[in-house]
Amino acid sequence: MALEFISSLSEIEITGGLTLLTLFIGAIIMAVGVIVARTVRILFAKYYAPKLPQDSAKNFGKLIYFGIIILSFLVFTSTTGVDFSGLLVAGGIFGIVIGFATQSVVSNLISGIFLMIEKPVKQGDKIEIPGSDVSGTLLDISTFSVRVKKFDGTIIRIPNESFFTSNIRSLSSTPVRRTEAMIGIAYKEDIDGAISVMDKEIRKSMKYVLMLPKPEFRINELADSSVNIEILVWHPRDDWDQVGPILLKVAKKALDDNGIEIPFPQRVIWNAKD
Amino acid sequence: MDDTFSNYGLYDIDEFLDLNLPNIEIKIKKISENVFSYTRRDSEDDLIEKIIPIKSSKLQVELCPIRPLNFPAMRTSFMYLDIDTPVFLSEDSSATVFLRCPIEIGVFLVHDNHKDSLDCFTCDPLNSRFCLYGPPESGTLCKYAKTEIVESYDDSIPFINAVLKINLQNQLSKGLSIGKVVFQMSENSIYYKDSKAIFDSLFAVMKKKLTIEIIDVNSEKIQTDFTLSPTYEKIETVKRMDMGVE
Repeated sequence: MALEFISSLSEIEITGGLTLLTLFIGAIIMAVGVIVARTVRILFAKYYAPKLPQDSAKNFGKLIYFGIIILSFLVFTSTTGVDFSGLLVAGGIFGIVIGFATQSVVSNLISGIFLMIEKPVKQGDKIEIPGSDVSGTLLDISTFSVRVKKFDGTIIRIPNESFFTSNIRSLSSTPVRRTEAMIGIAYKEDIDGAISVMDKEIRKSMKYVLMLPKPEFRINELADSSVNIEILVWHPRDDWDQVGPILLKVAKKALDDNGIEIPFPQRVIWNAKD
Repeated sequence: MDDTFSNYGLYDIDEFLDLNLPNIEIKIKKISENVFSYTRRDSEDDLIEKIIPIKSSKLQVELCPIRPLNFPAMRTSFMYLDIDTPVFLSEDSSATVFLRCPIEIGVFLVHDNHKDSLDCFTCDPLNSRFCLYGPPESGTLCKYAKTEIVESYDDSIPFINAVLKINLQNQLSKGLSIGKVVFQMSENSIYYKDSKAIFDSLFAVMKKKLTIEIIDVNSEKIQTDFTLSPTYEKIETVKRMDMGVE
């Protein structure tokens, strides 16, 4: 009964050599391929992915899954014995057309692959793209784009090509970071005294500022109205928000508490005598 | 020592308990059947309050010294002790020194032979700072403390520091001054008795490894009749975010 049914299937020809039976076998091969691909992806996710970086694990998972499915398709085409050469020629021409139309898509895909190989930054890193307003935490690098969670809480999607060709400033690759601020004192004031009071106040009230390397004070400029002092302090890399926004406030408080003048620009105008 | 300060140890609370520490005041009181309130106020009037529901009618807490790694934030497990007067060791010599090392204070809830971390703080916030050992691009972030050499294990300042014994050994063919000690603090336990606290000791050997001169610092467990402090674990609500895009 079953054999008769199978032989009847082999007699029904759909197109040039492709019978219903070969199509049926092909469907079984593809179904087995999908099941194997899913099983391998699950096993990979369970046993090997935890040992890899999160974005690499995800991309490897996709590669394995689609790799097995493509392999199944190739097995299917070889078992059917159908001549696909005509399809390949048509596909080639079609590919050129599609290639021109999807230039940026392919470019993003290739850039994505290079980003995954080069790994200039990794998931979770705090990054900044100088010259643009993008700074935040890298969420992931996927096939066509990169997602960055900005410090204002919004998420920005950057095409891989644009990200790959940009300068990327990593804010997380070293254990510490330096923050700078500039403050001016009046010419009449004692520079060493002003530095000493600011140093004491920074050490006292800024708990994230490192004791070593010590806070540094540089005379940056003898400006029009003030002697400008640059303050450079180091802090743990993730604690910029505890230091950067309040450094000037602390320095000003130290100067105010000790009666040191922070001048503002003044201009003396002499009237000519009549 | 200020005699008005409380001691380290276990406290059973029926109705209320007041603990007096340098710059810190802790109050625990029963607010209803099986519910207690915990309040900590520091010298700047900052207030921490917690409600503690328990199974029994009595509350037991342990006040003890813990490793100084939580304040102002948990960022590293390394400690950098900057010795105010460096120790000079001549070639092939050894010495034992006692140093003060800062501590933090932990409050643990004791129940069913189990200790839960309830609160931790420092009584010396102005000296709880970080530093970097090594260059900025590859150095190690450490907790920093300026320290001094003391005579014995009895010289700790209650609630501020504990005493750490360091056995120094110079195996090099020249004399050396030792002005700082950097070590991984998570390997050193703390022990307490009344208001005294001590750390597990360190064994620091100055030796040559191939052509480089190094100081090899290892932790050594000590035998003592002091009580071992529990390890403080910060319990925080962690919101996990799935960062992937399918």
